[in-house]
Amino acid sequence: MFRKSFFALLILSLLLTACGAASTPAPAEAQPTPTEAQATETPAAAPLTFTDGLGRPVSLAAPAQRVVSLAPSNTEILFAVGAGAQVVGRDMFSDYPAEALAIQDIGGSMGEYNLEAIVALQPDLVLAGGINPPELVAALEELGLTVYFLPNPLTLEEMYLNLETVAALTGHEAEAAALSDSLRARVASVDEKIASVTERPTVYYELDATDPSRPYTAGAGTFVDLLISRAGGVNVAGEIETPWVQLDIETLLVYDPDLILLGDAAWGESAETVAARPGWEALSAVQNGAIYPFDDNLVSRPGPRLVDGLEALARLLHPALFP
Amino acid sequence: MNPRPYLLVLLFLALAAGLSIAVGSVFIPPADLWRVLTGRPPEQVAQATVIILTLRLPRTLLIALTGAALGGSGAAYQGVFRNPLADPYLIGVASGAGLGAVAAMSLRWPYSPLGLLAVPAAAFLGALLTVFLVYFLARVGKVVPTTNLILAGVAVSAFASALTSFLMLRSTGELHRAVAWLLGGSTIAGWKPALIILPYLTIGLGLLVLSGHALNLLQFGDEQAAQMGLPVTRAKTVILLAASLTTAAAVAFSGVIGFIGLILPHVMRLWFGPDYRRLLPLAALGGAGALLVADVLARLILRPQELPVGLVTAVAGAPFFLWVLRRAKNQGYW
Repeated sequence: MFRKSFFALLILSLLLTACGAASTPAPAEAQPTPTEAQATETPAAAPLTFTDGLGRPVSLAAPAQRVVSLAPSNTEILFAVGAGAQVVGRDMFSDYPAEALAIQDIGGSMGEYNLEAIVALQPDLVLAGGINPPELVAALEELGLTVYFLPNPLTLEEMYLNLETVAALTGHEAEAAALSDSLRARVASVDEKIASVTERPTVYYELDATDPSRPYTAGAGTFVDLLISRAGGVNVAGEIETPWVQLDIETLLVYDPDLILLGDAAWGESAETVAARPGWEALSAVQNGAIYPFDDNLVSRPGPRLVDGLEALARLLHPALFP
Repeated sequence: MNPRPYLLVLLFLALAAGLSIAVGSVFIPPADLWRVLTGRPPEQVAQATVIILTLRLPRTLLIALTGAALGGSGAAYQGVFRNPLADPYLIGVASGAGLGAVAAMSLRWPYSPLGLLAVPAAAFLGALLTVFLVYFLARVGKVVPTTNLILAGVAVSAFASALTSFLMLRSTGELHRAVAWLLGGSTIAGWKPALIILPYLTIGLGLLVLSGHALNLLQFGDEQAAQMGLPVTRAKTVILLAASLTTAAAVAFSGVIGFIGLILPHVMRLWFGPDYRRLLPLAALGGAGALLVADVLARLILRPQELPVGLVTAVAGAPFFLWVLRRAKNQGYW
């Protein structure tokens, strides 16, 4: 009896799940959306069409004038390409540049955005980022909003591409071209100086040491790792193929990095707190006082400030080359 | 049949639903609200229509369905196990759903309707498979001793939770999303989620409401119930399956929301008596109302931020339950 009902229920569940998926209507077909209304108002404008990071087609009748940004990196990119004045809403963590703080906060703690507030802002574009799950994109789409998902870049070149994409969405292509040229020039100048280095110091970049015997650092595939290499250093966890690595203090003692960079300085960590951790006094960097606070936002937000991060790292690793 | 309890609980549910539609981070004047609901949307505020019809109403429906599922299946679990501490997650629904959801998140699904349903579908199937596994492990010959069920449930839950934690540690990119899901609640807009779980809830809750008499007999103990003509194992199996199906569907979209399934049945039992024929529908309706109120509070407390609704059900539910319990302490209702 039970076995039969088990399979009957399982099959029924699978069927219902499949039907649910199959009968899903194409999103936002019935409701007249703000975007459509605009499209009819300005029939002359050639629609701009894009394919976003989720492979979705996104079209705009004209460059977006009312943009809601769902990620701090997106907000920084919007301001950097000169579209700051077009931003009408931003997530709660967007705190750079300072002007962004004056823009309406639309939430984002624990991934919970205030959808009602976003709708009420009547944006013509919502710029989602790599931190946003596809469910959120679908929910915003369901509300009749135009959403562009900007994927997280993995290289500096991809970051420049993101700048150009955001510029095209907001009508600032010329500024973005100038911006990426100047960023490329700054990176090239760092590359040029670093090309001559013979000694590449080893670096431990701390993300979190709530448990000082098992701190978190960044492994391969992160901008921390990429920028440390580019700045002429060696990330001690760079061999580990996990983005966020929980190291064992014993392993760290074996690595014995030349420098300790505190990406968690904003959370109260400093050279003193590091020196006071049991076992850490054996590290050469602690004995030599080679512990530096570091602004984690420069390497954790995939926007134009990554280049600031690269320069800051290069100065710390090779002070003689960057007077 | 005395209709008074039903009327009272329905009135509470109606008030809670009204509140849930009226309250949100964007203020919509009652007059506009009424116009939208009656199909004559005000011209000047186009977004009011979207906010009410695509955000608030579907959310109200989904929350009410979830609350009904938790209240109803909580009452059924307590009846089957004859244990006042039983709740809908007792034999593994929550940990199984969590494992399914996090496993689905750690695979990268392409953006498509199917990919979007992968997480709730995996949560649903994870919950059901866990319950079936627990049931098979607990079975001895033809009977399923209650103690075995609880112990197997605890062990399998612990195992599934450990696997979930392991997956979360490995797939750090999705950690944020997994934690948000496990705390209860994900971003939802539109009618799809509520419509997808509706058939499961109809089947599950329907079976439970019809099992009131069987649950009454089970309260005398398995042997007595059998002597009174109840096919005990079959009845228990059907009730457990129906309750688990209901809970699994509720968990799929809303995440794990604690406490409603534990206290609502008790509150209804204290107020309206232990007859399961009446208790089951009342616990479902009351659960719907209570979760709606908790959701309104979740939206208001840290306005404009939203709290996970599971936090509110525990913080507001526990003192409320203690108050009810103190007032009724002399009735010895169990």
